[in-house]
Amino acid sequence: MTTATAPAVDSVEKPGTRRRPSRTGTGVGRPGFAWAAPAALFFGLFAIVPLALVLVLSFTRWNGLGSPEFAGLENWSKLLDDPVMVKSLWLSLLLTVLGVLVQTPLSILLGVWAAGHQRNRAVLSAIYFVPLLLSITAVSVLWRAVLDPNFGVPSQATWLFGDGNLFGVQAGALGVLVFVSTWQFTPLHTLLYQGAARAIPQVLYQAAQIDGAGRYRQFFHITLPQLRNTVITSTILMVVGGLTTFDTVLILTQGGPGTDTTNSAYYMYQKAFKSFDFGAASAIALLLVLVATLVSLVMVRLSGYDKMRSTMEGV
Amino acid sequence: MKRPVQLLRTAVVGGASLAMTLFLTACGGSEDAAGGSGTIHVLVYGDATNKVEKQLVDTFNKTSKVKAVLDTIPGADYQSKLQTIISGKQAPDVFFNWGGGSIKPYVDAGLLMPLDDFVSKDPELKSAFLPSVFNTAVVDGKPYGVPMRGTQPVLLFSNDKVLKDAGVSAPRTWDELLTAVKALKAKGVTPIALGGGDKWPTQMWFQYLYDRVAGPELFQKAVDGDKEVWASEDSRKALGKLKELIDAGAFGSNYDSVKFTDGGSPALLATGKAAFELMGSWEYSTLQDAHPDFVKSDLGYGAFPTVEGGKGDPANIAGNTNNFYSVVKTTKHPEAVAEFLKLMYSDEFVKAQLAVGNLPTTANTPKFLDTAANPAYSTFQYDLVKKAPAFQLSWDQAFPPAATTTIHQAVQQFFNGQMDTDAFIAAMQSLPAA
Repeated sequence: MTTATAPAVDSVEKPGTRRRPSRTGTGVGRPGFAWAAPAALFFGLFAIVPLALVLVLSFTRWNGLGSPEFAGLENWSKLLDDPVMVKSLWLSLLLTVLGVLVQTPLSILLGVWAAGHQRNRAVLSAIYFVPLLLSITAVSVLWRAVLDPNFGVPSQATWLFGDGNLFGVQAGALGVLVFVSTWQFTPLHTLLYQGAARAIPQVLYQAAQIDGAGRYRQFFHITLPQLRNTVITSTILMVVGGLTTFDTVLILTQGGPGTDTTNSAYYMYQKAFKSFDFGAASAIALLLVLVATLVSLVMVRLSGYDKMRSTMEGV
Repeated sequence: MKRPVQLLRTAVVGGASLAMTLFLTACGGSEDAAGGSGTIHVLVYGDATNKVEKQLVDTFNKTSKVKAVLDTIPGADYQSKLQTIISGKQAPDVFFNWGGGSIKPYVDAGLLMPLDDFVSKDPELKSAFLPSVFNTAVVDGKPYGVPMRGTQPVLLFSNDKVLKDAGVSAPRTWDELLTAVKALKAKGVTPIALGGGDKWPTQMWFQYLYDRVAGPELFQKAVDGDKEVWASEDSRKALGKLKELIDAGAFGSNYDSVKFTDGGSPALLATGKAAFELMGSWEYSTLQDAHPDFVKSDLGYGAFPTVEGGKGDPANIAGNTNNFYSVVKTTKHPEAVAEFLKLMYSDEFVKAQLAVGNLPTTANTPKFLDTAANPAYSTFQYDLVKKAPAFQLSWDQAFPPAATTTIHQAVQQFFNGQMDTDAFIAAMQSLPAA
């Protein structure tokens, strides 16, 4: 964040001069490694070490009792031939893409609207925020009850839900999963966009008004471009959340009907804690790590996020 | 002016928390110091029967120096939670299980205590139970479990008011069931409630049809590793019968969105939206908890219909023979555990189980049958179990846990049409042997 705003400050203070690479001699030292040590230690202990252990486990046969047996590449070769594994990867991607497509427009609109300082907006924003405060497990149990085909909403709205077999067909079950995540997580992204929208300098809108731009032009030509970095941040959060969707699947669909909502995270759980095949589960976990890393690399590359271009240039 | 008050408050709060810490430490210390006393942890599957387990633990604690602590894990998570804690420090001393296949991996890993010693000191720990039930928890010739709940045959429950309104009587044969389904559908009632979301209720239909059509031998061969039996004539015939029932609309169309575990399918039966439900005998205590009025007035029950020309004895039943308490080898208080297990054939145990609709499998059970909450229900079950030539253990308990997911997916996909007969057979052939 500091690197992003620094050039703007420089350019205000000394217009026309080139940005200096560093500010040595001002007396403020840059943080050394000691500053990062606690975080690095924590990350090492709770991320790197378990990851290494999972890598080892993925080459073994282990049911949780006794000690693991070395199995060579068995888990990996079985995994690549497993149609459910391939399907689960596609389902993970589908859930992610649907999540981003549904949540992004909703939260941009809500966030920009909530950025206004009117009192009613403040009150409503507070109410919109409530779903985020509830535990995802409680939310899933709640929606499962609300969507019960015989005693829930579908039984009263047959014109919309038909026989109410939402959890018995793939489209219905996926729809419920996307809907429940949207219901819960849109407030978080709304909050991001609200903050970002408030940070847009008013002078831009004033200038646009003088030039005769209406509200729609202002939205598309000022607000949206100014939210660019927030869109990327929010999308990365959604993608990470989407690829690792688990709690909603566990409580709402258990991967069913059949394997129609068995995404990779749930498949991993099934292998580990239903079939007690920790070797195969570890292989799936690593595969998921690889896919997620690949996806985030591609996203960073495509979006230019790594260059962190300032949206304040020229202001 | 405020400062002294704040100081005082800080001092009081600080002192209190310090005192509490010391107190807790002292408590923790005394437990270990007292030698003979201590605790044993009893882990059970969390459901409506827990009040009986609680009562027995209380009874035990009245006389024992070593105190028993009852821990429960809600049904759906029981098996996975158990597997992750059983070989660690959090392992219970005594735990609930389904006998046979469900404890085999633990026996193989050397985690369980064979109960021969207990039995030789107190022969009643074996002789007080019906042999066929006690033997379910015998692995490699040694006993590993003591029956601790009721026997749980799967029965066909019904809402008799709905049946009467549709002019249908309880079906005794498969054809009568199909006829009843048609009549109930015409009345606008879902003929059979099914908690398909849980998947194991769906599996119950397979267990009974395979037993009725092919006899218990087919499944036994399959568990022993003979994969060919799944492709046999009898196997296809059983699947064909089932398909016929599904295609007749017996289960309605939204059963996969309904669950037994959240009370959905029993509610369908109790509220008259459905006429039948095939469920384990625990359906009785579940309904008694949630819909007591319905149990009093309209709850009916009967054996699974016979299938014409089937090889299985029509008196055969399927379900859980009983649940068992097994003992973890690392327990620090084996004598206390033995004393606790002796309660499982006590008169108090039998009466308490009967009161919640469970049917114990002890030798002293018959003399209390008239004290049951519903003597007719208990006597019906007792006779059914006593007369049954074969008692098919639930498929997902007979196979090792590694097979459960595949079985559950296959039965669900056969019901919703994603798998045809050949695909189902192939799925079952892919199962690992026990």
